[in-house]
Amino acid sequence: MRKARLFMALFAAKILVFIIKILGRGKGTALPGRVALKIYPGLISDLSSRIGKGVIVVTGTNGKTTTNNMIARILEAGGCRVLINREGANLITGIATAFAREMDFLNSRAFDYACLEVDEAAFPGVASRVRPRCVVITNFFRDQLDRYGELDRTIALVRNALKEMEGIRLVLNADDPLVAQMGRSTGLQSVFYGVAEHGGVTSQGAAAREAKFCPFCGHELAYRYYQYSQLGAYGCPGCGFSRPDPDVEGTSPRRGGSFTQCRVRFRQGSSVSLEVPVYGMYNLYNALAAYSTALLLDMDPQRAAVFLKGYRPATGRMERFDYRGKQVYLNLVKNPTGFNEGIGALVEMSDGGLDVMIAINDNDADGRDISWLWDVDFEILADCQDRINFVCSGLRAEEMALRLKYAGIQEFRLMVESDFNEAVSRVLNGGAGKACILSTYTALWPVERILSGYANRDQTPAEYLPHVS
Amino acid sequence: MPIGIRPRLNICHMYPDLLNLYGDRGNIMAYRMRCLWREIEVTIHQVNIGDSVDFERMDFIFLGGGSDREQNLMAADLVEKSGALQAAIEDGVPLLAICGGYQLLGKYYKTLAGDVIPGLGLLDLYTEGGETRLIGNVAVEVDLGGVTQRITGFENHSGRTHLGRLDPLGKVLAGHGNNGRDGMEGARYKNVICSYLHGPMLPKNPFITDYLIACAVKRKWSIPLKPLNDSIEMSATNVMLKRLLGN
Repeated sequence: MRKARLFMALFAAKILVFIIKILGRGKGTALPGRVALKIYPGLISDLSSRIGKGVIVVTGTNGKTTTNNMIARILEAGGCRVLINREGANLITGIATAFAREMDFLNSRAFDYACLEVDEAAFPGVASRVRPRCVVITNFFRDQLDRYGELDRTIALVRNALKEMEGIRLVLNADDPLVAQMGRSTGLQSVFYGVAEHGGVTSQGAAAREAKFCPFCGHELAYRYYQYSQLGAYGCPGCGFSRPDPDVEGTSPRRGGSFTQCRVRFRQGSSVSLEVPVYGMYNLYNALAAYSTALLLDMDPQRAAVFLKGYRPATGRMERFDYRGKQVYLNLVKNPTGFNEGIGALVEMSDGGLDVMIAINDNDADGRDISWLWDVDFEILADCQDRINFVCSGLRAEEMALRLKYAGIQEFRLMVESDFNEAVSRVLNGGAGKACILSTYTALWPVERILSGYANRDQTPAEYLPHVS
Repeated sequence: MPIGIRPRLNICHMYPDLLNLYGDRGNIMAYRMRCLWREIEVTIHQVNIGDSVDFERMDFIFLGGGSDREQNLMAADLVEKSGALQAAIEDGVPLLAICGGYQLLGKYYKTLAGDVIPGLGLLDLYTEGGETRLIGNVAVEVDLGGVTQRITGFENHSGRTHLGRLDPLGKVLAGHGNNGRDGMEGARYKNVICSYLHGPMLPKNPFITDYLIACAVKRKWSIPLKPLNDSIEMSATNVMLKRLLGN
């Protein structure tokens, strides 16, 4: 009976995946899974028990997709068969779709690992079904509050789910106190990764940082330095909770235009050099999370580093396009911390002039409340505005223009163009040497489709790319 | 005012370290920019826990909201300043209180479990916890200084606020407002404006910002406020009004 229902559920989901694909309706990631779960609620637990070496779950606010793809990349390059929910479909329905699409009726396709990125709020439900071997937590920032309520509640949700599980291993960001606390509060065995103090750290906390207080005793945390947002070297004067000594620590990071390098120091004393073909400090954190996970799964450190170098960014993760010789970047933005990183990249790229498009939608998947745009430090752009042309687009294009106006950008530099096609063609044909498109989630797919119609996705091996900064 | 000296307004930003979410700092940005565009200088005084402040010297006080823990910390500190704050309010110092700050100015907050958390008791209103959160875009018709305008914002609160002998800020055209029942949004008393509207409120609704600036200016000098070009503000508001009200 159980077998029959599993069969039916798989059958229905596969047919739906097929229909959605030929109709070309969106990415079709939620509906097949939703139907399959209706037919057979045990689908995910049954299918995940077929995964040979175990399920790896990546959760947290930012960097889930990138970290998960990096882990999958390393494992696949190492010869493993990996099942992955690649499109960022990270709710329970999307995960059911990924299982139903990839696995067949006779269990003839053996997977060694499943790499799943899981939304924080969906984490308890998914984790109890897939019984992960290892859980990676990237960071906790405020994200789409109108869906999940306060950040504290989200963290408690993840913590309580972890407390229910035995024998799993955690991979935790040592620099984020909200993440690092999970080691002590769940009692689970943990591997910590982090970035050591370097020239780019600051002694001043950002305005929009989340964690000011000790998660254990409520005392205000003292920081020796900040990496960004609440990430840094913290300690609690009240109870002594402090940044754990990382097992895997990135040192002297060097930020190039299209790659990031660092030296990785292991707690035992040895070190290797790491290079990832992606932009920015936040991606270095993602790479260190993926790298630590690979080591936890007994991968050789040298080989894992080589495999990681071959990683390619997913859609909208500072993805590069080429339009008649003009470099065009596409980046997803969904919360203040990620947006601030994107703005940092804009400033670095703006030297030879820059056409910028910002697409803000407020559908459910974007977060209906766009107040968070006011927690982003657009003010930094005011100083280089004479090198940048702005096109604001999306359902809330006017509000984006309003935000830039109050950041001190002069009105004549602000163009509002709600139509994506028009907006994309404006930045492509704008006079500047480079272009960058920043987009919220539901605007990303239509914009990506339009962009790839005009421009070529850049496939140049990263090591030959020129530096941007 | 002596010729050649630019007027200067003192802005008091309450607990920016604690209440740093929901984009409410945009209210300070809007107030400041709209002063600077009129060649009125501003000084921003950030008041955090334990800091002393002379409310009577301020021309605009902003009090936002935060998550539960942060709000409790701020309430404990603000209780000690409550006498001075009351005197400033009675004296006509303009104040904007949003969401949690709005609730705190009232008499009490009664939780779902029945616990009564006392407020500062400066305004005749009280709040009761609700089963569901009232979340979504809001349109409100506001009558301020003889002008009627429609404003927009985003609400996200579980508390239901009821007014005693106080005027509401406006009438709900779309959304929930104070309690989802009586069709009222926000509260007004002297030069105090209270509201549940995030978004944030002042950048999107320059008419309220200018009202607050005008109140402050009027208390010190007799200079008129220069009108500004608000076309971007208007089009942002109109997009939302059209979506919510269809016109």
